Formats: sequence, C-alpha cells, structure tokens
Amino acid sequence: MTWTRRKFGCFAGAGCLAALGKRAARGQVHARVVVVGGGVGGATVARYLAASAATLDVTLVEPKERYTTCFFSNFYLAGLRSLESLSHGYEKLAQQYGVKVIHDTVTTIDPVAKTVALQVGGKLNYDRAVVAPGIAFKFDAIEGYDEPATQVLPHAWNAGPQTRLLREQLESMEDGGVFAIAAPPDPFRCPPGPYERACLVAYYFKQFKPRAKIIILDAKDTFFEQDLFQDAWSRHYPGMIEWLPGQFTGGVKSVDVKTRMIKTAGETFKVSVANIIPPQMAGELAQRVGLSDKSGWCPIDPMTFESKLQPGIHVVGDAIGSGEMPKSAFATNSQAKACAFAILASLTGIERTEPHLFNTCFTILAPNDAVSDAINFKPEAGSIKIKDIFVSQVGESDELRRDVVRAADGWYAAFTHDVFG
Amino acid sequence: MTAVWVALFDAGSEARSAAKHRRTAKALRVGEIIVLFVAMGMLILTGNRGMAEGDSLGAQLAATCASCHRLDGHDKGIPSIVGLDQKEFVDVMAAFKSGQRSSQIMHAIALSLNDGEIAALAAYLAAQPTGTKQR
Repeated sequence: MTWTRRKFGCFAGAGCLAALGKRAARGQVHARVVVVGGGVGGATVARYLAASAATLDVTLVEPKERYTTCFFSNFYLAGLRSLESLSHGYEKLAQQYGVKVIHDTVTTIDPVAKTVALQVGGKLNYDRAVVAPGIAFKFDAIEGYDEPATQVLPHAWNAGPQTRLLREQLESMEDGGVFAIAAPPDPFRCPPGPYERACLVAYYFKQFKPRAKIIILDAKDTFFEQDLFQDAWSRHYPGMIEWLPGQFTGGVKSVDVKTRMIKTAGETFKVSVANIIPPQMAGELAQRVGLSDKSGWCPIDPMTFESKLQPGIHVVGDAIGSGEMPKSAFATNSQAKACAFAILASLTGIERTEPHLFNTCFTILAPNDAVSDAINFKPEAGSIKIKDIFVSQVGESDELRRDVVRAADGWYAAFTHDVFG
Repeated sequence: MTAVWVALFDAGSEARSAAKHRRTAKALRVGEIIVLFVAMGMLILTGNRGMAEGDSLGAQLAATCASCHRLDGHDKGIPSIVGLDQKEFVDVMAAFKSGQRSSQIMHAIALSLNDGEIAALAAYLAAQPTGTKQR
C-alpha cells in the first residue's frame, strides 16, 4: 500500500472509518496466517502470532485432538510418568489466545493461489502459511521395515500409540531377554534420544528384569554426548547396555517381523523386543508441497524461516535443513518464535529483534542423574551455525546432576505451558 | 499507545486472568481500527522511531526466556524472572555472561544478548505482574 496524504487524511474521517468497518466485516483487513501441524513448532507459532490477535487471523490445522510430547516419553517407558501427563490439548490456544483450531487433515497447499486444502473442510486462504510437519520415516531404508512392521517392531519416535506399544512389549518381555534399539544415521529427531532411551529402559529392567540386556545397533560411529552416556551406563547399569557402532556392524540392513531377527551387514541378532528407529526426512506434507529438496529436508532462510523453494510458506521444526541446529523440541520452539516475529514484522510492520536461536536438551541418565547442553546459534551465510556450546562433563557432582533433574522437571511444565498455553 | 502495543505483542499475556484477557481482546476488537490507523499515522509522522520500540523488543526477547521460565510468577523447578528489579536483573545477567555465576544454560543465553537487549529485557520483565498464579 502506498501512503498518500489523501489516504492519511481519510483515516481521521468518519466516512473512511465506516468504510473500513465494512471491509473488516468482510474479513479483508486482517491478515490471515494458516499454521499446519499442531506439534511444538506449529503450536508455538500460532500462539505467538495470536498474541497479536487484534491484527491477525490465526488458524491452526491439526488432525489430532491432543498432542503427546516425544520429549519425556522415555520417562514413560521407564514407568516414571504416565502417557497422559505428556499429552496436551489446544483449548488454551483457542480460548486464551484466539487461535482458530481446526481438526482436519491438509491435503495440499497451493503456493500461487495461497490456499490450504483440507480433507473435510474445504479451502483456507492465507497471506502467510506456516508448515510444521515434523518427520517422516524412510521405510525403504531397512528391508522388511514398512508401515505394518511398526505394529510389531515399534519405532516409538512419534509419541503416542507407538510408545505405548513399546512399553507393553517391554513389560511382557521375559527376564533375560534382549532388547535391541536400532539407532538412525544423522540427522534425526532428538540426537540424545536413543541413548537416553537405553538408560531409562535399563532403569526399568534393573528393577524388574535384572538379567535383561540392551543392545544398540547404531548406524553411526559416534553419537551426541557419547562420553556422558557411556559413563552413565557403566555407573548405573553395569554390564546391561552394549553399543555397537556402524563401523563394526555395518548398521541394520533388514528385519524379520515374524522371527524378530535383525540383520546387520555381517551378523544376525535374535531379540525379544526391537525398537527400530529408521532414517528420517521431512514430514510427508513437506514432500508433497515441494518444500523439501534432495536432502529430504526443507531449505529455509534462517532469518525468517521462509521456504527457499515456496515463497510465502514458512517451515519450522524437525523438517527443516537446520544447519548445525539439532532437531529438538527446544530448537523448534526457538525457531517458531523467530518465525512468528518475522511474519509479524512482514504483516504488521513491527520492528523485530535479531533472531535468537537456542537449544537445550535435558537428558535423563537415571532418576537422580541428568545432564544438559546449552547452545546458542546465529544465522550465517543462509544457514544456522553454532556460536557458543556448553555441555555437561563426566565427573560432575551428584548434587549438580540432581539439580539438573529438578530443572528438567520444571522445564517440562514451563515449556509445555509456553507452547500450548 | 504504549499500552496497546504491549497488549498486541505481549507474549507473557498468560499473566493476566482469562477474563481480563477477554476484556482486552474485546476492547482491541472495538478500538483496533482507530488505534491502528492512528498508530500508522504516527509511524509516518515520526519515521517509525521511538514508539514503544523497547516494549516490543522486550516482549520478543522475553519470548526466549519463556521456553524455560514461566512469566506468570510460577517458579517450580525454574526460578521466576518477572517483577525483578531492573538493576538486579542486569547484574545477574552480567554475572552469567562472565561465568562468575555458574549455569551453562544461562551462560549461553547471556552470551547471546548485548547490553541493549539485556536492558530492554530488564525493563520488560520488571513491568510484568508476579501475583497471578493461575494454571
């Protein structure tokens, strides 16, 4: 819009206000943002945009009525938390912040017509769209591991029914059985996740199935916070956890659902319970809308999180090609805020701050022993780079580690409040 | 005007009761057009400088804090940071930045903030109410 003296003068005039009132009634004054995906990324963007609800119509489209957080779901596997305590609804986003929440599935997005097509509810027009599709699994990467196979060998890498299935299998496993975790290649959601899972399942085994063993069949040769984990495994669960790096096994090549046999390049493992975490890529909608590139992830401008492939559509969270930023809930929440303020700046003209991008992962090694990392990032040359990084050290005092457990607990409450209201 | 912009960009609005928030929202709906266009007029006249910039900046920066610290006075597990004395906040952040006060997370956060940003945060957080402990 070009500002002229005539238009400015008009704003002071009653006739002009009446005209604006009519436009408002037709919904043409408010800019429309449609957010697709009600995980941490989508919910955070919607919430922070709707904090300026007076000037924006914010719609959140998510098929599920409730979201179960992946973070802290290893607590559930350990028997330390209920799955319900990790589940969050969208009522507060709607009631306190005025987000319009639609439970429907997005079939496609037309970036030229700027419409989001829903399975049931027709089409939504947008001025800006935000897509937060999470991850999809590369089911062709491990022979025999397809979608139906997840009902026998759960990935449990989206929290909910898969996590419950894995817990049930662990509960019914015999003492002395073998639990295998297939850990994926980089990049994947939650870098410490598979190894934290080993810790917390070992905590459960130690109490109820002390002769059980855990093997981690890794696609990688090293992993995040490796020294902290290996130290914790030997202190808390001696002899229970064995980690086999990719260079020794060649990684998991195939699985047999009927016999629960896992084959690596050179060996076959017969296990009691298998948690297969496959290689990952951006969520399915991102692939369909053309937001992802050959890497499988969505390239974005790290200042605004606008897609480099589809202008007018922003992408946040695990689906993006995030440079040195890990795929975590905390990182996603941080990206979502930067994205929301960039959209606000573009639609309402607020002055925005430099994006402040952070990550912290609280990693639980045992119920009284947790570690954390703290990283700040900066957008640089079209990507996201680490600026400062601090990670817990081996040999810290028990007291410090207990403090991190307490902080983690407080963090979960505050963080989910920040995301879901 | 400042109040309106704070309401518009108040990331910590959970501090208010739901009822008050609804009143705010309603008031905004009624008055929004007039207020916004007067504001836009002011932007033109003033060259978009100085008007409530600190508040919006503070609110955006405080969004970062809200990933761990609840901004409504709750302090279970993680301390509350609202209603703090501004000087005290600036001093504590300086201590986190230098490493004199130990916390790896706050060290990383403090290192990423410049003095102007810390001052804007101090002003914003000091102005937030501390008493509303609703869930």
